[in-house]
Amino acid sequence: MMLSPRECERYRRQILLFGEEGQEKLKRAEIFIAGAGGLGSPVAIYLAVAGIGTLTVVDSDVVDLTNLNRQILHHDRDIGKKKTVSAGEKLQEINPDVTIRAIDAHIDEMNAGDLVGRADGIVDALDNYPARYLLNRTALGKGIPLFHGAIRGLYGQATTILPGKTPCLSCIFPKPPPPEAFPVVGVTPGLIAMVQATEVLKFLLGTGNLLSNRLFLWDGMQCQASEISVERNPCCEVCGEGKTEQTVRRRR
Amino acid sequence: MKVRVRFFARFRELLGTDIVAEPPPGTALDALVREIAGKKKEGYDAIFDEKGAFREFVILMRNGKRVEASDAGKTVITDGDEIAVFPPVSGG
Repeated sequence: MMLSPRECERYRRQILLFGEEGQEKLKRAEIFIAGAGGLGSPVAIYLAVAGIGTLTVVDSDVVDLTNLNRQILHHDRDIGKKKTVSAGEKLQEINPDVTIRAIDAHIDEMNAGDLVGRADGIVDALDNYPARYLLNRTALGKGIPLFHGAIRGLYGQATTILPGKTPCLSCIFPKPPPPEAFPVVGVTPGLIAMVQATEVLKFLLGTGNLLSNRLFLWDGMQCQASEISVERNPCCEVCGEGKTEQTVRRRR
Repeated sequence: MKVRVRFFARFRELLGTDIVAEPPPGTALDALVREIAGKKKEGYDAIFDEKGAFREFVILMRNGKRVEASDAGKTVITDGDEIAVFPPVSGG
């Protein structure tokens, strides 16, 4: 898949980093972004401007005034619109040279596999663990990476999950924290989203050291980044030897 | 014996960032966390449930390795250990 002269110009400054060959890899790639909110907005914007050939963004929500302190794809005039409509318009304006598939859907057991389709990777831009666990099982079932991110207040976490090679989300977080209306200021998902988007680019380009087997922890209040090594749990109910028949069935 | 205890996220807000403790030899991980968290009721309650057990989502690490809550009572702390205690964050 050749780059057009316009694309060569558009991406000139990053072709200095990745070469035309790298840029073509990005153009051939398809990334699935689950959620068009605080994490999903900056992830989608930066992957679109970087020239990822196809971005699928899935969300079922409507833009609300209380979203606008962080969900930077949505503007004041979008209040009441479907997030996918708002996101699709903006992303296509930001970069008409990429394909944007904005799908208004609630990701569930029945549709997750089809929605993710033939994507090369899944970005976790969700806001709850039950949906994250579903995405985790989908990623494992398809053997594609899951780029996890989550935030609360000025804290954030991220890790890159490579099926079979790294712990899965359930190995690291076997039990979800209780649901809550989490406090958040836009800068935190902005920062974590950039970690996720950088990981996506590195994975697609096959360069650098991925955030795999490591959990990145960010504390904006202290301006302190830490990391913790994480390991596969052999007894993990989702990816370990202890997985149940039900889990195996759900993964297919 | 000196050990470092690092809380993250909500636990950090309630209990502090980086704590150096000097537990007596033979102290188990469970007892160490309980002792430090016990200094602030709200912090203790965030980590332990009504029965005094670790809440099921709490993650315990010793020198970068995961310790299951069920093993924390028999995991003896040694000099220089780094303990991390954190909840997963869930927002997006």
